[in-house]
Amino acid sequence: MSEKILEVKDLVVQFNTDRGVITAVNGVNLEVYKGKTLGVVGESGSGKSVTALSVMGLIPSPPGKIASGSILYRGEELTTIEQTDMRKIRGNKISMIFQEPMTSLNPVFTVGNQIEEVLKLHQRELSKVERKKKAIEMLTLVGIPSPEQRVKEYPHQLSGGMRQRVMIAMALSCEPDILIADEPTTALDVTIQAQILELMKKLQKDLGMAIIFITHDLGVVAETCDDVAVMYCGKIVERGDVKTIFKSPQHPYTIGLLHSIPAYDSTTGEQKGRLTTIEGMVPSLFDLPKGCSFQDRCGYASDRCRSEEPSLDDVGNGHGVSCFTPVQK
Amino acid sequence: MNIYVYTIRRSLYVIPILLGVSMMIFFLFNFISGDPTSILLGPHATAVQMAELRQELGLDRAWYFQYWDIVKSAFTFDFGRSWTTKQQISSMLSSGAIPSMTVSIPAFIISTVLSISIALLISFFRGGWLDKTVVFVCVTMMSISSLAYILFSQWFFAFKLGWFEISGYENGFPDFVPYVLLPILIWVMMTIGPNVRFFRTVMLDEVYQDYVRTARSKGLSEYYILFKHVLKNAMIPIITYVVIQIPFLILGALLTESFFGIPGLGSMTLDAINGNDFPVIKAMTILTAVAYIIFSLITDVLYTVVDPRVRLK
Repeated sequence: MSEKILEVKDLVVQFNTDRGVITAVNGVNLEVYKGKTLGVVGESGSGKSVTALSVMGLIPSPPGKIASGSILYRGEELTTIEQTDMRKIRGNKISMIFQEPMTSLNPVFTVGNQIEEVLKLHQRELSKVERKKKAIEMLTLVGIPSPEQRVKEYPHQLSGGMRQRVMIAMALSCEPDILIADEPTTALDVTIQAQILELMKKLQKDLGMAIIFITHDLGVVAETCDDVAVMYCGKIVERGDVKTIFKSPQHPYTIGLLHSIPAYDSTTGEQKGRLTTIEGMVPSLFDLPKGCSFQDRCGYASDRCRSEEPSLDDVGNGHGVSCFTPVQK
Repeated sequence: MNIYVYTIRRSLYVIPILLGVSMMIFFLFNFISGDPTSILLGPHATAVQMAELRQELGLDRAWYFQYWDIVKSAFTFDFGRSWTTKQQISSMLSSGAIPSMTVSIPAFIISTVLSISIALLISFFRGGWLDKTVVFVCVTMMSISSLAYILFSQWFFAFKLGWFEISGYENGFPDFVPYVLLPILIWVMMTIGPNVRFFRTVMLDEVYQDYVRTARSKGLSEYYILFKHVLKNAMIPIITYVVIQIPFLILGALLTESFFGIPGLGSMTLDAINGNDFPVIKAMTILTAVAYIIFSLITDVLYTVVDPRVRLK
């Protein structure tokens, strides 16, 4: 087992809204290991992005706040850390890329300027010339052609895929321990998606960083992740290594998600059978049902599911399932 | 295309605009405003007197000569003589512009810099008590009539407290300084409310953009993000708003100048309107149009400096 660099324990994040307090993340536990990729999967509103932003210390406050729990980065508590100390970690030791490559870069500064800015902040020993060189180096690393030219360009002169590469270059320029990728390929074409994923895998190998990969795309998870945590309504409902989750999932929600991936015959390319969906809707965080949040959409729900909340129990080999009626194969 | 070619090409657009403006001025003064000779001579004038005056003022010439005078004056700034003072209007303009600008330019600079600073400060503490208080004060200040500011300040600050001169003006620096202080203060008070509210809106539009989140994720401080990332993006609407006010600085403030007895273009215009001095009103109208056109041209060129997305085509 490699070194554990980040541990999220019983994290609870709440938001004050006009309609009352909602709990976006409710007792999440995560562990991130050096050089490994942790996939966090879930539908919109399941709390995966909020979890990521909590690690970055970027929960908009007010209205949001970390109500309880802890986030330990190499033994250092991040939930109570001073803002000035957190800024030294952000972008330097833990960095993040976002879902919206088109709008995530500042339109009025050159790409080079925006990469150099991170270096200027976290690597003060570099001279202006060295920073410029490093920016070009980073663009080369993420596979941008003619980087000497590109550093002088503005974001609007680049395509979406190129901009996401720039974001990655920026995030990795200080060689962080952890890269948080919040749906980095969602807004991109499928072919560009594959290129970006390849790039991230390659860079992880070269730089040895850990990746927290947030996505709703299980296909991407299968391809890139070592471990997976499936989130639903602010909680982790199942976690384990990627093989276990894909081969023997036990939570009805995970199974439902896996069945919702279209399957194709590898020789003819035709779709196999009808696509199944999970019936019903994600309940509103304002009125979650008593007991298990998934009860209304679950085919196995019993009376116990409607009165008691299941806990995430280990069923062996680090495989955790939060269900009273796990599906056994 | 480089910025020089762009500027020249953009300048060519000025020609049709000027033609349109000059035509409108021509129609306004020659057809809509009525016969100036009967206004000047009163209801008991004889037809002979009117014909003589018409000839004297050059109103008997063919319409295209009169129109040509307007077009020409937009370039030469030769507006002829005033009907009431008989002075060259161009020299009236140049002697009036300086007193106007001794009030308007300092007031404009103070108001703009102060408003941008306050807007930056309250966008930093957005949603907090400071933000709410400032917005409340701004709306209150905007709701008060400019006449109330002028009359109250003249009575209270100048008359009761004796801090400033009540009215009057002296030419030359530093003699004019005591006379312009109160008008400047009033100008700042009148403009700061709408300015702060506009700049605040512009900045808050930017604060919630994705690139700000990216900047935070790099570990940059809020202060740095506001000054570097947000301010430069906010500059695009701010420039339009600020530069387009400049023509009015030359033209002066109508009410403030006449209440404070400042011999600027503002009070000159007001006098001309009261005295039916058509050539002066016409000159001010042409001057306003020309200044407005020039400064909107400058705004367009400045855009290309601030916003790299503006293509020069």
